[in-house]
This record gives sequence, structure tokens and C-alpha cells, in this order.
Amino acid sequence: MKISEPMLLKNRGNIGILLFFGVIIMPFAIAFLYALLYSFGLVGILNDGFTIAYWLTVLSAPQLGYSFLYSALIAAVSVIFSVGLSLFTVLYLKKALNKPFINFMLYMPLAIPGIVSAFFTYQLFARTGFFSRLSYQLGIITEAASFPDLINDQFAFGIILTFISLLAPFFILFYLNLYKNENLEALERVAISLGANPKLATLKVSLPILLKKSQTVVLLYFIFLLGAYEVPLILGQESPQMLSVLILQELRQFDLNKIPEGYTMAVIYTSVVSLITFFIFRSQKNKVIHG
Amino acid sequence: MKAKKAINGFFFSFMLVALINCSQKEEKQQTNWKEASWEKIEASSENTEVNFMMWQGSPVMNNYINNYVIPALKEKYKIDLKISSGQGPEIVQLLMNEKQAASDQGQIDMVWINGETFFQLRKIEGLYGPFVQQLPNAEYIDFDDPFISIDFQQNINNMEAPWGISQFAFVYDSAKVANPPKNLTALTAFVKANPGTFTISNDFSGMTLLKAFLAELGGSPNSLDGSFDQQKYDTLSNQLWQWINENKQYFWKEGSTFPKEHSRMDQMFASGELLLSYGFAEGGIEEKVIQGLFPKTTRGYAWKNGTVLNSNYLGITYNAKNIAGALTVINFLLSPEAQLKKADPGGANANTVLDMDKLPEEWQKKFQTITTRQYGPSLDELRTHAIKEPAPEYMLKLYEDFRTHVIEK
Repeated sequence: MKISEPMLLKNRGNIGILLFFGVIIMPFAIAFLYALLYSFGLVGILNDGFTIAYWLTVLSAPQLGYSFLYSALIAAVSVIFSVGLSLFTVLYLKKALNKPFINFMLYMPLAIPGIVSAFFTYQLFARTGFFSRLSYQLGIITEAASFPDLINDQFAFGIILTFISLLAPFFILFYLNLYKNENLEALERVAISLGANPKLATLKVSLPILLKKSQTVVLLYFIFLLGAYEVPLILGQESPQMLSVLILQELRQFDLNKIPEGYTMAVIYTSVVSLITFFIFRSQKNKVIHG
Repeated sequence: MKAKKAINGFFFSFMLVALINCSQKEEKQQTNWKEASWEKIEASSENTEVNFMMWQGSPVMNNYINNYVIPALKEKYKIDLKISSGQGPEIVQLLMNEKQAASDQGQIDMVWINGETFFQLRKIEGLYGPFVQQLPNAEYIDFDDPFISIDFQQNINNMEAPWGISQFAFVYDSAKVANPPKNLTALTAFVKANPGTFTISNDFSGMTLLKAFLAELGGSPNSLDGSFDQQKYDTLSNQLWQWINENKQYFWKEGSTFPKEHSRMDQMFASGELLLSYGFAEGGIEEKVIQGLFPKTTRGYAWKNGTVLNSNYLGITYNAKNIAGALTVINFLLSPEAQLKKADPGGANANTVLDMDKLPEEWQKKFQTITTRQYGPSLDELRTHAIKEPAPEYMLKLYEDFRTHVIEK
């Protein structure tokens, strides 16, 4: 029997949806349901049945709120700096980016896992790290303790620096492609031929288009950083902690009776992030329909 | 309760079908190994596989297991010992999940645990036993020694077999520090004279250090013995938090944060950032000097009022697939031969749990030939300053209160 092409395409589409549901949505939904039931004492071998005690404990303590705020600040600063640096590089240094060596250097950081980057940052910026030793050798500092506190520090310098080193290469490549695909060079030329000065043409023509086209990606990266684990685990402080570090600490704690509090935090975090993601995509969809 | 059971049933039957039942279930063992003769246990363990979950953070221990224990078991008993990596929290989580899923065929058969994990596993009834009295080599162990038979103030009741014994010790570099502190008064002077060179890790090692401080504040090495005393804890811990908060400005990073794990402290001690460190296994000095991590001038000592001396143990999981195999492996690990090899200062360098007086003469002589440590102190040197591991509630409270009264303050 000959199967028509539209039917083949339709079947492929259905298989795709099934795979997406089976591989991504279903495990996530099961895990979320499990965490939800655990947080209400409905599963878990040490739980005695339905209770809202864990929710009350988590919601009445400031720990999770601080952690949300702290994580959001770190993620926002990291994303803003990464985007700013990438835009500057693409808009003003794009000729240099075409050189093979620089192009290679841009791709290389993408292959480095976050945990390795965190160790690099530690080795470079710790008080006993490379720059501290170099400063000592150059006579800039007289002892290791005089070197600025950049790792496990209260301003999360190490975490932010590592995030930027991981994100900026991606955003540079992303904006570079966007610049080419949107034909921004031609648009800038048109603006200049109509009398705009070159700097203004970049700022008023290319920059707004790049920013607008990358909104969703930027927001998704913000959410991604919000849940980062390895980097803040190695470079962060013990208090406040970023969300994933805090949640995992609660889930692995010595007092087994408090593990449901960890699940409660996980449920709250997942719900908040899912809601943000939902609204991002809804607003994007609305823009497409009405725009 | 019924609703909870129904939810559990639905949820885990679903999970089991989806995730676990990919592999064929083996036939459930019907033999009652508690009644079986040792000959039958050994014979049944031949040509079987035993899954052992252990902490793999020590290269010398890994070397001992991979290059001595595994080949020896293969040769003597035709047992295939498979190692999986995991310590306290991983073991507890795994067994909690298996228990929740009502799995009677666990992924692991035996585990290497300390008192903290023993307490947790007892709580979830995650251990098989009692079994230690069945092991022929248990006759060489002195179960009248409270440092062996009592774990976190709980009698081990033959539910775990002692495998090693070690004492918590302080570590310093004798080339940099002439007179290291041995009590809280001296430590106060030390941190003021050497700001930024001392800290408390927010983990098992750090909490064990705090127990030594609590015992000192209690006035004697035995001050924390017995069951948990809330009033005593409140009084002593208030003094402890006050001492730390008054002096943390002289700690590493001015006490604004604390290392999450003790392994980080080893690196900081090695780089000279910290002048005072600590740890189990008499500070673990020998291994780290031989590895080249610590300088050869590194030395160790016990706190004047005492530091915790405790044993580490081997347990069998409640749902072990191969109980006979696990019993045979544990018995081998307690044999004079395996313990002698483990005690080699150039190798695993772990104190034996065997009582020399109970050993046959030939083995006593062999143990006497073990060379002494070149750098770290021996257990015998420290043992005069030993305190028992206090009741687990002290640890529970210290973890929580160290966070609320110190870290978050």
C-alpha cells in the first residue's frame, strides 16, 4: 500500500509529540507529582500521612525567599553583563571575530563544562590562586590575605565571573548569526545612506533589533542560571545559597524527618519557574499574533 | 493511612513498571541465612556477584579494594565484588527509595558506613541483621570495647560489623606552628595571633570538631556520654555559639562563610591558607604526606579534653540480593590477613579492629612487624585523649544550630 506524503508527515509529527511527551513531559510530571506528594506527607517512608506542616515551616522561614532573591540577582547580573559584552563585541568588533583563531577561541569555551570553569575560576582568583601569587611576586601584595576576596565571597564575584565566561561566547555567536540572518549590515548601510551617522545607525537600527529578537533566549538563560548548581556549589557562600544548592542540601540532610521540607522547596521553585516560562511564551505568542 | 498506602501503591507500581522492571527479576532467595551453617553460606556464595557501595574518596583505600580485596575474593571464593560509589546520603536515599518502592531485590548488598549513616539506616530499618555473630572472624574482635560495640551511643546489636577504627585529630605544620592549641582558651589566642587560618567545615568533620568543643565546655571527656540531654545541650551549645560568634572575625574569611566540605580544608591547609586543620583517621596525615599534598613537617595531635574515637562499619542492606555473598565478603574483610594488609602504613594505613590478644600468635607477630607511621600520630598515642561519639541528637542539633546561630547570623 502506498502511503501518501502528507500522511507520512502527519505520522512523523505525532511520533514527535509522543516522544516529547514520553521523554520530557512525563518524567518531569512524575517527578513533580512525587515531590508534591512528599511535601504533603503522602509518600515517604518516614511520613505519617497528609500534613501541611512542611509547607508552613518552609513558607514561614526566610531562607527560601533570600535564596530566590540572591539567585535572581546573580542570574540577572550575569545575563546583563554577558549580553552587554556580547552586543558590544558583535556590533563593534565583528571584523576581528571573522579571524579563524578568534573564531576558534569563541567556540572553545562552549565545550567546557560549568564545573570545570568553576575550578578554573577558583584556581585563578582564590587567595592562594594564580593572580594572588602573581601579585605577591610583583610586590603588589605582601601576603595572600591582602588579595581581594573573590571566591566564596559575599558579592558572588566568582559565580558571576564564571557564568559570564560560560554565557558570553554563546551570546556572541548567537548575535553574530542574528546579525547576518537579519541582514543588519544592509539595514545600517541604508540608514547611513539616508544620512545617519554610523554610530547612530548601529545604536538605533541594529541594537534594538538584536535585543528584541533575543528576548526569549535571554529570559530562558536567566531561568537556566537561576537553577544552576555546580558553579555556586564550588564558588558560593554557605549563606545565602543559590536555589539548587539550598534545595539539595535540604534533601540530603542528616535529619531525615526534614527531607519533606526539601521537596516543598523543590515544588515551590519548580512552580515559580514554570509559571515564569509559561508567561514568557504566552507573551511571545501574543506578540506574534498581534504584532 | 489507607489513602497514603493507595497513593504509594499507585505511584510506585507505576515507577517500577516504567523504570525498574526493565531488568528481569531474579528469583527471591528463600533461604534463612540466619539459621544457615557457615559452610553453607560460603558454598552458596561461590560464583556469585556482591555489590558493595562505598566511599571512593581515598585513593589508598580504592587501591586496597581494587588490587587486593577483589582479586583475593575471586581467588578464594570465586566471588565477583562489584564496587559502586556512594556514601552516607546516597546510601540512605537509595534505600529509602527502594523501601518506598517495596523493592525486595536491592541494587546493593553491602555498604560501608559510619555512625551517622548507621543512625539513619536504623531509623528507616534499612539494614539486614543481626548477622555479626555468624561471622567466624568476629571472634577476633573485642565487643566489650565500647568504641566498637557502641556507635553514636547505640549498641550495634550485631547489625553492623566493625571494619576500621580511627580517632579525630588536629593537623598542623610543625615548620609553621610551634605550639598548636589544645583547648578553647589556647585556640582563642591562636586565631587572634593568626587571623584567617582556622575555620569549621559545615559537614560531618566540622560537626565532630564541635562535639569535641562541646565536651570541653561540659568539663570532662565524658560530659556528653549517655542519652541526649536537651538542657545540657542548650547550656553548652549557647556557650559554644557565643565563643564562635565572638571569635569568628578571626576565622577564615572573617567567619562570613564556612567551607561546605572538609576536603576543601585539606586543599587550603596544603596551600598554607589554613594553619590548623583536623580530620578522622588521626588526621589522615600519612596518606596526604606520601601523596605530596601535605608537607613532611605535618603533625597531628588530640585535643586535651579529647577528640572522638569511633569505628566504621560494614552493613548488609535489608533487601540484599546476595546475603550469603555479603556475609562471606565481610568475613573476609575482618580476617587477620585482610586487616593486616589494610593496616600497611604505605598502603591503606587503617587501624585494625582486631584485638591482638584474641589473635593466634602467628598473626600477632605479623601485626607487630607493621612499621610505625613516619609523619602522623598512631592511634595508641591519641587514645589517651579519646571521647565517645555522643548521641545522634547532638549531631542533629549541631547541624541545624550551627547554620542558624553562626552561618546565617
